[in-house]
Amino acid sequence: MLLVALLLVPVATAAVAFAARRRAVMEAANVAGFGLVFLIAVALAAEVLRAGSVSLADGFFYADALSALVILLTASVTLVCATYAVGYLRDDERSGALGDDETGAEQLAQLRMYYALTPLFVFAMLFVAVANNLGVMWAAVEATTLASVFLVTFYGKITSIEAAWKYAIIGGVGLSMALFGTILAYYAGHRLAGSDALAGLNWSVLASHAAELDRPSMRLAFVLILLGYGTKAGLAPMHTWKPDAYSEAPVPSTAILSSALLNCALYALIRFYILTRGCLGAEYPGRLLLLFGLLSMGVAVPFILVQKNYRRLLAYHTIDHAGIMVTALGIGGALGSLGLMLHMTFHTIAKSLLFLCAGNVSQHFRTDLFAKVKGSVLRAMPLTGVVFLMAMLAIVGMPPFSLFQSEFLILRAAFDGGRVLTGVLFVLFGTGVFTGAVLHVGSLILGPPGEAAVAARRPWRDGSLVALAAVLVIIGFWVPAPLLELIRAAARVVSGQ
Amino acid sequence: MPIKPLYDMQLGERIVTLMAALVLVLQIAMVAQRWIVAHIRIFAAQSFFLAAIAATIAWYNHAPHIYVVAALTLIVKVMLVPILFERLVKRVEIQEEIAPIINVPISVVIAGGLTLVGYVVAESFYRPEEPGLGHNALAVAISLFLIGFFTMINRRKALTQVLALLSLENGLFLAAISLTYGMPLIVELGVFFDVLVAAMVLGILVFRIRESFDSMDVSRLRRLRG
Repeated sequence: MLLVALLLVPVATAAVAFAARRRAVMEAANVAGFGLVFLIAVALAAEVLRAGSVSLADGFFYADALSALVILLTASVTLVCATYAVGYLRDDERSGALGDDETGAEQLAQLRMYYALTPLFVFAMLFVAVANNLGVMWAAVEATTLASVFLVTFYGKITSIEAAWKYAIIGGVGLSMALFGTILAYYAGHRLAGSDALAGLNWSVLASHAAELDRPSMRLAFVLILLGYGTKAGLAPMHTWKPDAYSEAPVPSTAILSSALLNCALYALIRFYILTRGCLGAEYPGRLLLLFGLLSMGVAVPFILVQKNYRRLLAYHTIDHAGIMVTALGIGGALGSLGLMLHMTFHTIAKSLLFLCAGNVSQHFRTDLFAKVKGSVLRAMPLTGVVFLMAMLAIVGMPPFSLFQSEFLILRAAFDGGRVLTGVLFVLFGTGVFTGAVLHVGSLILGPPGEAAVAARRPWRDGSLVALAAVLVIIGFWVPAPLLELIRAAARVVSGQ
Repeated sequence: MPIKPLYDMQLGERIVTLMAALVLVLQIAMVAQRWIVAHIRIFAAQSFFLAAIAATIAWYNHAPHIYVVAALTLIVKVMLVPILFERLVKRVEIQEEIAPIINVPISVVIAGGLTLVGYVVAESFYRPEEPGLGHNALAVAISLFLIGFFTMINRRKALTQVLALLSLENGLFLAAISLTYGMPLIVELGVFFDVLVAAMVLGILVFRIRESFDSMDVSRLRRLRG
């Protein structure tokens, strides 16, 4: 019941927003819809904690702790982004970024596109997390790309079209590989009893027979899946769409892309990792994951150090963190999995907060380039400045913020597992990212006071910012017991212990 | 009593192999093709033979759900997508040549080499003890996948890249029906829906690229760097 409601609410929201004739109706539909999704996600998490797993329609829908955590994170981020978007898009409408039609029809069409596509995008992401059938999960991942392409082209600039083209084509090629991997996984299990039925491609069925799967097929399947869903997660060297799409999409969409969508791609990868480990042992998939994870972290460093555009800086930062999470998955074990789940949670909060701050700066100064932001952000917009700096310190892993804990756990798991080279590279790349990010963002926020006007009050955007920042600070010191239990349960699903 | 030859597995395998060979020939013809409209029609013909393979496999394995897949292929890939793309070509008035990066003779040789790779990879999935129709079809499927990749890299025009992506997807379709006689119906439905929407989304993007850049040459998309 909860699972169906979880999927129906975003679809209904999209329908209302699509049919609406006034901006206020679209805004209200989105905020109310995502609020409802959030409540359902919390209820689902509680249900999963109580019962272990929830399934529906003969196991067509299936949610365990891992799904529940991903759903909860997606729902939280999209709720905050929905309230932020109200203020953000009103500002865009005033400033003429949505077109300069006197009658307002053009602007309304733009708003309708945003407010109708975003719920569909969220619907696809939630579907990824509750689909038990790996083929259906693939279709849902593909649907996330299709629903978000026109969010990337939102401003209709030449550069947005370029970014959307890269996003769609690179994503399309990547997902075709993931589909091939899915077909091979189905083949690997096709001699199991009952594989002709729909259940033959169900993750829960395959996972319980993982040891009996055809080994050569699974070996090839995992490589294809890693390349495919790795493209969607933005692992190097398939990451090139990411900075473009992140710097062109409207900021609330970017915040969802960089946190919730990344989680969904990793979620799909984790499901296949569990199957492959059950079939071939942890060593084979682990090595491949470490290779791509460390490569992503390494590739991000030079781009962060020389970056001129702060939204692209954050995009490379997301590539770095995708690398960290994939590395944690590759290290595996109880400790690595716990580190992974904690990191996913903390990164989601901190990264979406950073993009929202970047959106405030971008709208106030009308530029995405460090060099063109004249005067310190802290002076012109004190609240945004403080939160931006804090979130930046959090995401590069400064104590007392929570990402320090998760990165430290992953590092400890690396050394405990005897993966010294991984640990050393992890620290090395982490230092590079730290230097680049703190240097750039520090000068952006703390730079010499300029003549920039002090920003007006902006209740929708600042309210969202403060709420998310409060969460970030609080979980640095205290993770609520049920949430911690959910994270631990999700880590147990990943580690299989 | 059913007519015997129509259920003869040997004959079935020969039919599938023949049609898979045609699919492969069309894929290589696509590599050699110079005109966009011809490219679209070759894609439609290739999809038609795929639908025929699916129907043959459905007939010999008594699997009615594969008929649905064959019908969907016919509707989506043989009719809807080609019609959509031909209208797009008319609308943006491009009859120009495709201009590949590597010249045609060398491209065809490379495509031949990739076919060889396809056969080598498919060999590892071949189990003589299992009766089936799909031995050659799998090799062709992997070849389509690889040649599709190559074509994507080798093309500069946006629309031809989309067609290459779709022919690569045809390879996956063939792999699915030859390895496992098709995935569960609901998965196939999802995949078809995605292919149709993807074709439309990419078509709209091609149109907008053409409008903004006054060209479909994607090597001009180079403003976003670093």
